[in-house]
Amino acid sequence: MPWAPSLDLHLSFRLDGLGAIYGLLATGIGALVFAYGTRYMTLHLEHERRGAVERWRFWPWMLLFAMAMVGLATAQDLVLVFVFFDLTAVCSYYLIGFDRSDSKARTSAVMALLVTVVSAVAMLIGAVLLYAAYGTFAIPELIERVGPSETTTVAAALIAVAALAKSAQVPLHFWLPRAMAAPTPVSAYLHSAAMVAAGVLVIGRVHRLLERSELVMTGLLVIGALSIVVGGVLALRRDRLKQVLAYSTISQYGYMVLLYGMGSSTSNGAAAFYVMAHAVAKSALFMTAGAVTMATGEDRLSKLGGLGRRMPVLAVASAVAAASLAALPLTIGFFKDELFFAAAWEEGSVTTVLAVVAAALTLAYIGRFWVTLFLGAEKGQVTERSVVMVAPVAFLAAVTVVGGLVTEPFARLAASGGEVTAGRPVEVDPGYHLELSPENLMAIAAWTLGGLLLAAPRLTTVLSRTLARAGDLFGPRRGYEAMLHGLDRASAGVHGLEVRDLRSSIAAVLVPAGLLVGLAFAATPTDGAFALGHVSGADWVILPLLGLITVVTLVIARSRSRLAIALALSVVGFALAAVYALIGAPDVALVAVMVETMLALVFVAALARLPQEEPDEDRGSVVRRKRRRRDVVAGSIAGLAAFVTVWGFLSKPAAESVSDDHIRLAPEAHGGDVVTAIVADFRGLDTLVEITVLLVAVIGVATLMRRGKTW
Amino acid sequence: MIIAFALATAVLFGSGAYLLLKRDLVRMVAGIMLISQAAVLTIIASSLNRGQAVIHVGPDDDPSDPLPQALALTALVIGLATVALLLAMVHRVVVVFRTSEQDALAATEAEVEARLERKRQADREEVEGVEGAKEDDAEAIEHEELGRVR
Repeated sequence: MPWAPSLDLHLSFRLDGLGAIYGLLATGIGALVFAYGTRYMTLHLEHERRGAVERWRFWPWMLLFAMAMVGLATAQDLVLVFVFFDLTAVCSYYLIGFDRSDSKARTSAVMALLVTVVSAVAMLIGAVLLYAAYGTFAIPELIERVGPSETTTVAAALIAVAALAKSAQVPLHFWLPRAMAAPTPVSAYLHSAAMVAAGVLVIGRVHRLLERSELVMTGLLVIGALSIVVGGVLALRRDRLKQVLAYSTISQYGYMVLLYGMGSSTSNGAAAFYVMAHAVAKSALFMTAGAVTMATGEDRLSKLGGLGRRMPVLAVASAVAAASLAALPLTIGFFKDELFFAAAWEEGSVTTVLAVVAAALTLAYIGRFWVTLFLGAEKGQVTERSVVMVAPVAFLAAVTVVGGLVTEPFARLAASGGEVTAGRPVEVDPGYHLELSPENLMAIAAWTLGGLLLAAPRLTTVLSRTLARAGDLFGPRRGYEAMLHGLDRASAGVHGLEVRDLRSSIAAVLVPAGLLVGLAFAATPTDGAFALGHVSGADWVILPLLGLITVVTLVIARSRSRLAIALALSVVGFALAAVYALIGAPDVALVAVMVETMLALVFVAALARLPQEEPDEDRGSVVRRKRRRRDVVAGSIAGLAAFVTVWGFLSKPAAESVSDDHIRLAPEAHGGDVVTAIVADFRGLDTLVEITVLLVAVIGVATLMRRGKTW
Repeated sequence: MIIAFALATAVLFGSGAYLLLKRDLVRMVAGIMLISQAAVLTIIASSLNRGQAVIHVGPDDDPSDPLPQALALTALVIGLATVALLLAMVHRVVVVFRTSEQDALAATEAEVEARLERKRQADREEVEGVEGAKEDDAEAIEHEELGRVR
């Protein structure tokens, strides 16, 4: 469907495999999150002592969020993708900053918005680059047309940057843990099915464009691996529940980016499967965290423990979700890692080792999360129980287990999603194989290593703390903050330069404009472009008049007395009127005389009302003399630019104009004077507007002169 | 003739720009007047033909180009309105601030800004103080309630 045909934009949607996966996630998990949110938001608003009406600042954005996600999942046009991409960012801004009285929530919201939106602009640039080279924004057509070239590499890299920032990959990951300031339903949704998933979705959608560039694919591999390690290690020792899950998300999306970076058909299918398995597990875990926080009023692991006996349903349900994330058997998560291991094994030894380490890290941090929360000595008071908040978790756990037993529907969805990504049929065939396959060996190795990490908290503490400290010292967040402060300062500086002082802002317009004009003239060929013109008839009278005008103008510029300026101005005006009369423009001459008379009177009258003392500018201090010299230079540059411009365009008169038509048609407009006919008839609307302007000015003058009674 | 018109326009515009940069408001108005004169002169100079007045044009006449004249008329009148408004404003400024020098005006403005900022700051502190007190109260009540539950 055409949208803006002049820009070659189309509203094209198609529900293909990839669209189906993300659309299902956005709506399915969305529905659960919405159900969960009805209870959560009521409690949340009660805790914050805000009116229940405030929830209307929440639900519309959530709804828009879900719609934007579905739109993004099905969009087939790069610009459309960009629009929905930004729409999710805007929604997330309002949702993260929902607790607007909390300054932390506000800064987090701004951070999320800036990081994702600024990098999304990279995607737009990439799209425009591709359009310039291949003439279409439609993704399917682009995939067919694009070949490997430098433009492709740059465009692909730009699109990838936008997607990676959205998926919170290192080094643009820092916004995600901060975004935990949002209410829990938002976090659950944002991490599993929306916002963060959008980045991976885009990578999956344009994967065959990215594939054209070896460099971009390698970049995906490296960034994915980095994110897995950084996110995983940092998640090991976080204290706040949602922080653990946030870093886990960075790490988990690292898996998917890594899988896309491998680029084989196995890995593409695996990535699609991974998205689903992760979304189910992660949203359940987030809702667990929210339910626990709501029940106890605590959000730190160190202050919670032994909740298993008091909240048994939640404990079991979240155990299933955690097991799924850690890829234990009988859950859907087992297969996500099986597929991941298979793809990594196919790729080489480095990725194999990395995959094992990644899975071990996941097991370690999620194990710690669940064990600390539900086992051990009892800590924290359970004051609030809500079925509505536990039921969605239980439902997701049930889905996880069903997925672990009956993989068929998930596998088929993943296969169709992978097919869209890879552009060829993809086989996704998860299943339990009780043999010594490399995947199983890797899984066992990962569990062992993860168990060891879980059993050695001191080692993980040191590791995680060191990395966190290094991140604080040299991390990209510092760069972001420095950039923000720098921008702030630059803006204040420009503001100071531009606005505080009118003179410098005028000079800032005049001088660069003059220099640009000069440059343009220097750059264009000027052979025969300038004509001197010839002098004939009345011109001999006009020439001395113009000379007079020039001299008097210079006098005005130099004059010290205001009265002299006023008088000299009217000399210039009347001389010009005489010029107009000689040129054969009696109407203009008459009006000019009228206007000049009025102006002279008004000017002198105004002078009479001004204070007598003349400002003694240009005399005295060195600074003033220097300023004056600067003013002269600026004025000369402006004058020179005007000279070159006017001379240039007067030398090349138009071949024809509407004037002849005007002259021919004037009798029909019942006008003997053609100029009058033009003003009153042919350009009547102009004149009407002009009269309006005049009226407005008169009202302004009258108000100002009435001793400012309206002020 | 072309170069003569161009020169006159350039001098008008350059002097206008120079006057605009002055600190005296009256001179700035004069600068704007000169610049609008330069504009009108340019429009008139761009006539394709200079001849007789375009009134009751006969078939053998050599009339001037009427279109630039009509445009110049508009420019002149708008220029008048602008300058009148500017002068009224200058007058008002002088009445209120007793100076037509920009530096003095800027100084006054900065002073007013600073005073406003101080006021705003005071307001904010007051509001925050009240809110802080409210929060303290709320916490106290919460503790009491918790105590009762226990």
